Amino acid sequence: MKASYVIKRILLTVLIFFIVVTLCFFIPRIGVTDPASRYYPPQPATMSDEDYEVLKEITREQYGLDGTTFEQYIRYMGQLFQGDLGTSYQSGSPSVIDCIAECLPWTLVLSVTNLLISLVIGVIIGTMAAWKRGRWQDKALLNASTFTTALPSFFIALLLSFYLGFEWEIFPAYTDQNMVSNFDWSWQAISTVMYNAALPIFSMAIGGIVSYGQSTRNSVIAVSGDEFILTAKAKGLSNNKVIYGHTLRNAMLPIVTQFGMNISGLIGGSVVIEKIFNWNGMGTLFLTANGNNDYPLMMGIMIFMSAFALVANLLTDFVYSLLDPRVTLGERR
Amino acid sequence: MKDILVKTGRFLLRILFGIGSFFKKLWKHKQGRIGLIIVGILAVCAIFAPLIAPYDPYDVTQRAEKGLLPSWQHLLGTSITTGQDIFSMLIYGTRSSLSIGVITGITIAILGSLLGIAAGYIGGWVDTIIMRVVDVLLVIPTLPLVIVMTNVLGTSYVVIVIVFAAFGWTGLARVIRSQVMLIKNTNYVKAAELMGASKWYIMWRHILPAVSNLLIMSTALTSAGIMVAEAGLSFLGLGNPEAISWGKMLADAQSSGAMLFGHWWSILAPGVGIFLAVYSFMRIGLALEEILNPRMRKGSSMIKVFKHLNNKYLEEVFASMDDNSKMKGEYVAEGAQEEVAAAAEEKSETGVKDESAGS
Repeated sequence: MKASYVIKRILLTVLIFFIVVTLCFFIPRIGVTDPASRYYPPQPATMSDEDYEVLKEITREQYGLDGTTFEQYIRYMGQLFQGDLGTSYQSGSPSVIDCIAECLPWTLVLSVTNLLISLVIGVIIGTMAAWKRGRWQDKALLNASTFTTALPSFFIALLLSFYLGFEWEIFPAYTDQNMVSNFDWSWQAISTVMYNAALPIFSMAIGGIVSYGQSTRNSVIAVSGDEFILTAKAKGLSNNKVIYGHTLRNAMLPIVTQFGMNISGLIGGSVVIEKIFNWNGMGTLFLTANGNNDYPLMMGIMIFMSAFALVANLLTDFVYSLLDPRVTLGERR
Repeated sequence: MKDILVKTGRFLLRILFGIGSFFKKLWKHKQGRIGLIIVGILAVCAIFAPLIAPYDPYDVTQRAEKGLLPSWQHLLGTSITTGQDIFSMLIYGTRSSLSIGVITGITIAILGSLLGIAAGYIGGWVDTIIMRVVDVLLVIPTLPLVIVMTNVLGTSYVVIVIVFAAFGWTGLARVIRSQVMLIKNTNYVKAAELMGASKWYIMWRHILPAVSNLLIMSTALTSAGIMVAEAGLSFLGLGNPEAISWGKMLADAQSSGAMLFGHWWSILAPGVGIFLAVYSFMRIGLALEEILNPRMRKGSSMIKVFKHLNNKYLEEVFASMDDNSKMKGEYVAEGAQEEVAAAAEEKSETGVKDESAGS
């Protein structure tokens, strides 16, 4: 890795971050003349118009919406430099960072588990399909991928919550809200979380497993034609050693790419699923903020998601160039 | 005056013949035929919805009792909240899904090809600006941004199409750009440049036709992706509130407790609708991919569609096609291509290799 390229890449990331922040600030304000209007208290009959204007001004200041939009923007950027994302308009005015910190672990429980399950099972299934190429295992994977790609994950989630949740009552169809408030690190609390998370994770993982399975299959088949596999077989190695020791290890590179890309979607990728299962995560937080016109919270979440994606992309680039020295930085495909 | 008429007439005829032969090719392809048939049925449903549907779900007077079970009067029962006939809603729902999918797909194709060709062919600062915009748009989480935009701008169809198009063009533009950069260095473009053809002429006559296959194919796939996204948006209650759409039907069924009452058909029906629409468009897209790129190994592309739907991965979706086009450059004679294709199908192993080298 050349140091100059790393520095250039990081500088570019910072620049993109600031453009993203600017967009996140201005887009919710397009066409809104007075964003504070919905927070004005109703005008009492005894109050004169001038006094009401003063009251409005006080409300605006309270919500940090006084001055022109540009002044607000400068103020917001100043805050951001100090690592402050502002305070939410929710009752009790908690700071945005607190809100995010409260919801983030719950989203990560879903998305990280989903990613790991998809990766492990997908790679195993994919290797199997590649090994049994052309037989029913392979065809089954192909057909499964056809169907899961066309099925939106929220429809899978609805079906699962209907059958497994309502009809057969195996898993809870809605998240138990006490789970969040009563959480301590006891064994029972953790098992309750896993019990509640089963359906959301499963409905997301179906697509993920199949997609990892397919890419593993393709990449394993591509590698298994190489000479060193023939050598390994000629040496008399067992099938398992050939598959796991030689083929899979060399077929990992495209899977690493896919994994890195999925990492950048860890936070923002489960909005709809969270809504269906009433899961108390970032997606639900964002939908509530959007419903309440809670500007600081909305911007905070979007900026946080973008920053996460940016850092993830940066790291994937670096890791990739470490894994495969032939790939020069920035030319990841 | 007469001259112009004849010219435009010929131009239109050529386009018509082009479309005709295009459908014919698609019909000959087995998977493409399945897609075409389903799309045809859906299109008929969408266009003649008032004739096919037994009730008019928009008409308040034609509402029946709420939450009726399926019967011969109401094939799929009635909805729990409003008492609208679910079967009629299903048929009317084709309209919003198909129209938004297709219109947005075409808009994205136009936008993506314009910006991609500009970035790839003109290069320089135009390229830099467009690619930086792409970088920014790829990082911002799309669904939250779309939610905010619809919150601000309203939820009419026009806004939804514009918002989806505004954030959906990036992947296509990237792919087209990399394709154009390859075409730019071919001999016939160089020859045209030497003969003094203007940049606009070259872009219109040489580069656009060269990427048109890619465009047609990706329009089908993008449309499928947009349909999923639109269903998701209206499922979240952020679609057009007045129109009937499948996503909204799902959301209504869920929020009104259809699952509690065991009305599985009110969830299954709109879901199957979404599935059919997306599936058929995907099938057409994949069939086109195989028709237009005979070297593609059959059935390998589902994973690519998956990536395509996520949009961010679009570049990789077509990375293999870059390789294909490089290959094509080697075979000068047109007729030789078909032989090569046949050979490639026999040796599918090498085909696999090409692909994975690309990704």
